[in-house]
Amino acid sequence: MEDRLKEFVNENREEFDVFEPRPELWQEICRQMPKAQEKPVTARKEAKVISINFGELLNFNADFMFMRVAASIILLLGCGLTLLLVKQNVPANTGATMAAATEQAALSQIAPELVEVEAYYTNQIKSKREELSDYDMKVLGLDEAKEIDLELARLDSSYTQLKTQLYTTPNTDQVMGAMIQNLQIRIEVLNRQLEVLKRIEQLKKEDITEPDYNETTTI
Amino acid sequence: MEKSSYQDVNAQVVQRCREGDNRAQYELYKLYSKAMFSVSMRITNDYAEAEDVLQEAFISAFKNLHTYKSEASFGSWLKRIVINASVNAVRKRRSELVPLEDRLAGDIADEEYDDDTEWQVEKVRKAIQRLPDGYRVVLSLYLLEGFDHAEIGEVLGISESTSKSQYSRAKKKLLEIMRDTHYVAKPRSI
Repeated sequence: MEDRLKEFVNENREEFDVFEPRPELWQEICRQMPKAQEKPVTARKEAKVISINFGELLNFNADFMFMRVAASIILLLGCGLTLLLVKQNVPANTGATMAAATEQAALSQIAPELVEVEAYYTNQIKSKREELSDYDMKVLGLDEAKEIDLELARLDSSYTQLKTQLYTTPNTDQVMGAMIQNLQIRIEVLNRQLEVLKRIEQLKKEDITEPDYNETTTI
Repeated sequence: MEKSSYQDVNAQVVQRCREGDNRAQYELYKLYSKAMFSVSMRITNDYAEAEDVLQEAFISAFKNLHTYKSEASFGSWLKRIVINASVNAVRKRRSELVPLEDRLAGDIADEEYDDDTEWQVEKVRKAIQRLPDGYRVVLSLYLLEGFDHAEIGEVLGISESTSKSQYSRAKKKLLEIMRDTHYVAKPRSI
């Protein structure tokens, strides 16, 4: 015989799901979950030669949501800092901003925030480079400058590529995130080089010769 | 037709979960926690226990996601885990889910429905909650989780015919409870 009860339940199936767990339960689940595999961090060596493979970072296979969040945070920070610098009337900065603004009239239509961010980072990179050129590579016995320049040139070309993509892709957030990351990597490269140079200089001054004191002394 | 597109959406999220994406895991949790919690509530009939089961089931599902082959929908795969965990939880507090005297399959008189009885979801649901464990589990699995008697037998470790007779008894009892509450003004406390 037909089961009227079963029929009744089938018809009202959804309404039987009335219970809900406490909202905190998800946190408890998260706590007990095995930690998600962390993305491999690029090897950071404090050695004399700066040979960090940035190719990996340039793949930008990071999660889309993460990129969006990261990009917006960086954008906010960048805009804030730029505004601050502009207000302080730093002449170099205003010059750079104006130059960028005229160059990138088209860009400002697609991604107006990027113009400011770009100006800010370009300025940073410029000042780092100036700082770097104060060191005499030859005197310090290093000729890695070429390597660094190559790396920076590579980053520069991928940046230009990204910029052209920005005009064609609807996914501006992601491309912008990648562009900003690119700029940050450049600063990072310069920073590390500066750090290494500073250390070498210091060591030379102190005239420390024990080779196992620090890796950098073996230069 | 609806199902295939639904599965496609899930397949992507499931893949992201396999890669250890916490956000994707949360998406699945949000999508299924309520339904799965209700499943567990119906079997365990205990809020705290149902929460433990849900937690255990989701953790086990995420850990064993590699064993999930997309032949069934993710929801039904997860539901299996939740049901097994819930049944185990009930087993822990009771040695037997189906009392021995009920194990013999026998003919149970067809229940009589009161034709004038207007069923309401709320009333049926509350009546199910008042059933003893053994009845409630079989009845819930059959009526609400869409298991057939062979599947119920497999999950509970009983024969198909036992499941059938257990269901008939459970249904009879359920209708009794509903009839009782129909006449008694205040439902008696469990």
